[in-house]
Amino acid sequence: MRNDFKVYKVIAFTFLVTFVALAYVNQQALIYQMGLRIKENNQIHSNLVDRNRIMVYNVLNLKSPANLETKLLAKKVELGIPGKWQVVKLAGSPVKPEHEYVAKKGLFASLFVMGREAEASPNVNSLD
Amino acid sequence: MNKLIAPRIRKVLYTLLFLLAFLAIRLLFVQLGAAKPLSKIASDQYKTFICLLPKRGVIYDRNKKELAVSINLSSVYADPLLIKDKPSAARKLSGALNISESKILKDLTEKKRFAWIARKVSLDKERAVKRLRIKGVDFVKEPRRVYPNNKLASHIIGFVGLDDKGLEGVELMYDRFLKGAVGWRYTIRDAKRREVPGYEYKQIPPADGNDIILTIDSVVQAFAERELNNAFKKYNALGGSIVVMDPHTGDILALANSPSYDPGDINSSPAEARRNRAICDFFEPGSSFKIVTASAVLEENVLSQNDELFCENGEFKWGRHTYHDHTPHGWLPYKDVIKYSSNIGTMKSAVKLGKTGLYRYAKRFGFGEKTGIALPGEVKGILRHPRTWSKLSVCSISMGQEVAATAIQLACAVSSIANNGYYVKPRIIDSIQDKTGSVIKKFEREKMHRVISEDTAKEIRGILRGVVEEGTGKSAEVKGYFPAGKTGTAQKVESNGTYSHSKFTASFVGFLPYNDPMFTVVVILDQPRPQYYGGTVCAPVFKKVTEQMMRYYKIEPAS
Repeated sequence: MRNDFKVYKVIAFTFLVTFVALAYVNQQALIYQMGLRIKENNQIHSNLVDRNRIMVYNVLNLKSPANLETKLLAKKVELGIPGKWQVVKLAGSPVKPEHEYVAKKGLFASLFVMGREAEASPNVNSLD
Repeated sequence: MNKLIAPRIRKVLYTLLFLLAFLAIRLLFVQLGAAKPLSKIASDQYKTFICLLPKRGVIYDRNKKELAVSINLSSVYADPLLIKDKPSAARKLSGALNISESKILKDLTEKKRFAWIARKVSLDKERAVKRLRIKGVDFVKEPRRVYPNNKLASHIIGFVGLDDKGLEGVELMYDRFLKGAVGWRYTIRDAKRREVPGYEYKQIPPADGNDIILTIDSVVQAFAERELNNAFKKYNALGGSIVVMDPHTGDILALANSPSYDPGDINSSPAEARRNRAICDFFEPGSSFKIVTASAVLEENVLSQNDELFCENGEFKWGRHTYHDHTPHGWLPYKDVIKYSSNIGTMKSAVKLGKTGLYRYAKRFGFGEKTGIALPGEVKGILRHPRTWSKLSVCSISMGQEVAATAIQLACAVSSIANNGYYVKPRIIDSIQDKTGSVIKKFEREKMHRVISEDTAKEIRGILRGVVEEGTGKSAEVKGYFPAGKTGTAQKVESNGTYSHSKFTASFVGFLPYNDPMFTVVVILDQPRPQYYGGTVCAPVFKKVTEQMMRYYKIEPAS
């Protein structure tokens, strides 16, 4: 009877140790999996940062005045800063309208007014 | 029941104990006998160093516009042993990457575990290769240096090699600041040789490179490059240089050469185009050097600007040599000798000054010495010691022969006159900053020695204004801004040592406004054809560049 009790104790102890060992292994596997997931996310983040840098470079390239000028010159379009003699200011010229211009014109008129849509965004440089 | 089970369990336990004992003995044997070599094998297998590359610093212009940036691009590599159908893979890769199929196939058939297929490919090509899903073909990120403005300021910025190491210009000169420091991580890897995250033993993060802020203004640089290039093409020149400088601070606002090159694609242009002529090429300045002679003559009170000299009606024999003027003149006040660029008048004044005086002032103006500009490859030109001069040397040197200078030396010399007689050292880099924006190295503006007195500088400025108003430099006139300057047309030396009658170096050195100069501009054209006079080919470039600069800086013309 006493020997049986000892045997059960040994078996129970073995089970316990095995359980703890398995729990430890499981924990390590979870850590590993989490690490892998973090690494994958970091990789995605790093890829996106790299892509962003490439996009910013493309934007810089596109808005570079030197490149724009080269392209225009290739098409034989020559632009320059207008001299004072090339700008005519009329005495009765209306004041340049502000942004509410479109709204004031009404819905029908706004369909034919390019003002707001054609204006450059003031945040265009915030890309970099 | 228990009596039946107990002996069996006991047997199992004994068996287990026996096995455990066996394992313990084996463990003891391994631990005591073969621990070190086995531990080393295991360590080599799973521990690894991973190199962490830093980001190369950015190069900005004075307004913080990016001139050189780094991006990461994918490079395609293959493990040829993993690719089963090599001809098919080569055909597919060739289509996606636009590379010769035979070249790829050659790489794939070699018996090795690693072969580059294409380095630093574009996003589109990377996507195209990914879509192919070829086993054994993979990617690795590599940094690539790119230049958003293509050719703009290429001779200043320089370029880097495939390994991201600076090879020219600022990229080379300040490579140690730009490149940053490589970091590393000591970690473990799994059976598939992947890094096991969360098991880093030690990590030193990479230190990104520092940013460099140049003194150039990319807009002025674009003006200068465009006008120089137009003149270079129009006059079929061999080469050309332009330097735009702030004469008070020494800041170089633009420095350009023709022909030029694209630093992002250096193989598309010859090595000749990559030379920074403004600092690496020296030439005889010709009449532009008369500024130095006149400054010395006036400073030493050898003559006053109103003293008259007889210009021998255009022909003068000195020793065995006969000197000529482009246009014959009789008696001329000294200021008109410079205005009309009379060789005879200038050499007569130089003879009165003496060779030691001429040499001393040429030295003070910086000739025969490097300016110290922070760009690689600067040469010091030629200014021989008077001991080695011949009897005719004083005449020749006074009008810019037997002396050789670079465009940057001329810019510094003429800036000394614009800067009330003080020589200024040219400055092309403003500062070096780390990623947080803290300045780690500031290139201070250096005011150097006095070359001539303020009064003489003022007199010379007045004389040079006359050159543009009525003299040889009329094409440089910019209405309302009162430029001053000096033209130069120097005969080139033939291979047999004689002066050529068909090859010339044309130049114009000037500043504006003459009474309170803001900008110095030097324009050089090497061997322009068919016109070759400095006043005809270089002065208009000065005019066009300065006109645009005035509008750009919103400087109103004086009435």
